[in-house]
Amino acid sequence: MDLAVAAAAATDGLSMKNKDRNCIGSALAAATCTLLGTTALQPVQAQEDPGWDFNTSLLYYGEGDDRVQDLSLKTLSRRTFVDDRILSLGLTIDALTGATPNGALPQSFPQTFTKPSGKSTFTTPPGEFPIDDSFRDTRVAISADWEQPLGRLYAMNVGVSASAEFDYLHLGLNAKLSRDFNNRNTTLSGGFAFASDQLDPVGGIPDPLSQMRIVRDDDDDNGNSGRSSNDSKEILDLVLGVTQVMSRNFLMQFNYSYSDSSGYLNDPYKILTSVDPVTGEAVPVPQIPGTEGPSHLNYYEHRPDSRSKHSLYTQGKYYMDGKVLDASYRYMTDDWEIDSHTIDMRLRWPVGDGKYLEPHLRFYTQTAAEFYSISLVNDGQPLPEYASADYRLGDFDAITAGMKFGWKTGGGNDMSIRLEMYSQSGNVSSSQLIGSQADQDTYPDMDAIIFQYSYQFGK
Amino acid sequence: MKPVRPDRGIRVDAGDRCLKGQFSAMASPCEVLVDSDDIAAAEHLTSLVANEAWRIEDKFSRYSPGNIIDRINTARGEGVPIDDETAQLIDFSVTLNELSDGKFDITSGVLRRVWRFDGSSNVPTRDAVIEAMKQVGWHRVDWKSQILTMAPGMEIDLGGIGKEYAVDRCAGLLRNTTDAACLINFGGDLVATGKPTRRDAWKVGIEALNAQKHESDRLVNLVTGGLATSGDARRFLMHDGIRFSHILDPTTGWPVPDAPRSITVAADSCTQAGMLSTLGMLKGAQAEAFLDAQGVQFWSNRGNGATSCGQA
Amino acid sequence: MITGRFVATLLALGILSGCSSMGVEPWERDILAKEEMQLTTDAIEAATDDHIYFSKEASSGGRGFGGGGCGCN
Repeated sequence: MDLAVAAAAATDGLSMKNKDRNCIGSALAAATCTLLGTTALQPVQAQEDPGWDFNTSLLYYGEGDDRVQDLSLKTLSRRTFVDDRILSLGLTIDALTGATPNGALPQSFPQTFTKPSGKSTFTTPPGEFPIDDSFRDTRVAISADWEQPLGRLYAMNVGVSASAEFDYLHLGLNAKLSRDFNNRNTTLSGGFAFASDQLDPVGGIPDPLSQMRIVRDDDDDNGNSGRSSNDSKEILDLVLGVTQVMSRNFLMQFNYSYSDSSGYLNDPYKILTSVDPVTGEAVPVPQIPGTEGPSHLNYYEHRPDSRSKHSLYTQGKYYMDGKVLDASYRYMTDDWEIDSHTIDMRLRWPVGDGKYLEPHLRFYTQTAAEFYSISLVNDGQPLPEYASADYRLGDFDAITAGMKFGWKTGGGNDMSIRLEMYSQSGNVSSSQLIGSQADQDTYPDMDAIIFQYSYQFGK
Repeated sequence: MKPVRPDRGIRVDAGDRCLKGQFSAMASPCEVLVDSDDIAAAEHLTSLVANEAWRIEDKFSRYSPGNIIDRINTARGEGVPIDDETAQLIDFSVTLNELSDGKFDITSGVLRRVWRFDGSSNVPTRDAVIEAMKQVGWHRVDWKSQILTMAPGMEIDLGGIGKEYAVDRCAGLLRNTTDAACLINFGGDLVATGKPTRRDAWKVGIEALNAQKHESDRLVNLVTGGLATSGDARRFLMHDGIRFSHILDPTTGWPVPDAPRSITVAADSCTQAGMLSTLGMLKGAQAEAFLDAQGVQFWSNRGNGATSCGQA
Repeated sequence: MITGRFVATLLALGILSGCSSMGVEPWERDILAKEEMQLTTDAIEAATDDHIYFSKEASSGGRGFGGGGCGCN
């Protein structure tokens, strides 16, 4: 705005009654000059200070029965630039100990298995779920995300992610575009994510549905014995979503997601026990003198090399009288014939002076994958093409119940702690059970504690 | 010589990498930040600013008996000859009246006789407002040849322009007196006369919402130019669940519907910033669209979402 | 099953178009702007939960994308 020109135009008798919005500014500038008796003022220079926002947390996750325990440090740093452009940087460090069930069934006698490294064995006492000795001990994950508006109604988001652990490497990128409609009451968004992951399992990649190997002296340093050392998979995710303001205190979101994985989808450490068709017990394997190896017949699992999932997700946030109810439902179905339902509910309850309580309840149920089986049958018939006893592909229900307490520190920053119990229990139909399996535990139910402390600070 | 009022002292302290002169004027805490170590100079500059502020306050205050405003408001229909400075302010208000389609009107002060914004639910009756409106309206004022004539009972009030005008007048004084960069702040209406030497800008806090739409203070780095804020969240009436803001529409006698809680504007001078934020408030629901169209930088707080607009 | 999915998607889109006239004016967004009314109130808690359930169950996501894979599923 050239004030001198504007002032001159004003004194030329340009009509001050010009109602054109854009002329109001210059008419005002000219009138101000006349009032103050100045002809030229320096143009204003006012820049908003970008803000930093830090969110950190310490998490303890612990399953019962000597299973997985995880201590995790997470940080998320956000820097806001002028005009609502935001850079987010995330870092997660996990220290994992313990192990997970390897898919073999508990028996009334001890069982010996070859470790994934192929260099030694371990023995599971009777009555216990065999636990696999995998070496996932430390994981580091980083992410970077850039968010900015595009014009008045569009916004975009691009990000990259990477993670590394002893036997696994992940690289990914994602992008999202959204547009506001209807006075910003409706937002449509679409996005995609692409990930390329590589597995480098201890001991190499086993042949699917091959027998668990014996300990061999002539293995190379990696314990490989003609196995390939790594394999990879690729995952493509697409999301379409609608966010809709329903009323002054009610907001909803609807998302449809599609996910396609292809490549090596097996868990290289998981096996299935082969059982006698009558007794349902594990079949002993003759031991070659001078060697160590599995005591019973086990096969490495095999999953299809592709998987496509569809999910429908809806979430609502409802404000009533200071309390906020957050409820969501997700339905997932895939071509492995797994269907799942998730209901998640939280209620934020202010308890005075910047403090709140937030009870949390989550229900989850899933049906088994089509090739999920608690064991294989040693009846001379050919093995099925795909089979897995991984409890995460089985038919089970899970419930999470917890409580979170949040407060503001003296400096006005947010702190919170939450304690939750997560419990899984399997549904193995009696028709699947053979012989003495009916008297055994055939699904490794799990109870876990989740404890998290969070601290948020920054402008 | 007038006796010195007890509330008219000045003091100079050390500020954050500057010297800070403080005094009270126009019912606001006022400060003059000087980018210098020279205490004597800072005292002199603060004194200059304070005296000019008090002069303007005394001259245009509604509460000073015998000043020009009082003589206009008690003229009972007689024409009052107006001095040059007051005439310029009145001319300025006429421009604002035209630019705002009559919504900025210095005769609207009498509406305070029926509207008391004390947070209660005492909304006046329609008849009371209609009665009061008989004495509102710049079109009822005869203003020419520097003589102002209006009907008895009408009043003019320059409070809507006075503070920002004072800030800019004082800035002009400082620019003519010193090379040191200064910031003049009269209760939130402020102007910076130049870039300070010891840091990259003057740091000004605005109560608004941040980019994540959460409540927090925003920090603005001001190098030159003015900032002014319109609106006051504490002055309102609550009746039947509807919040009546204290911004009255002089063409209707009722509050402007859907006005933001506050608007802060950054402009070349404090007066421009103040008038843009006032014009914005008067636009009610269209405040942000209006300021968007002007291409000015602003922050609007509706108690919900803030909009910040980059300069054109 | 394919028809079921198709119908469900149509239903969601139908709700969307019906929703196009719903909403609030800009000056009525006071409650919606509160931090606790954002769809993801606590990004770290959401990422933590997403990761835990992705590792222990056969389903994932829903809200958006996870931050990255792991050797756990």
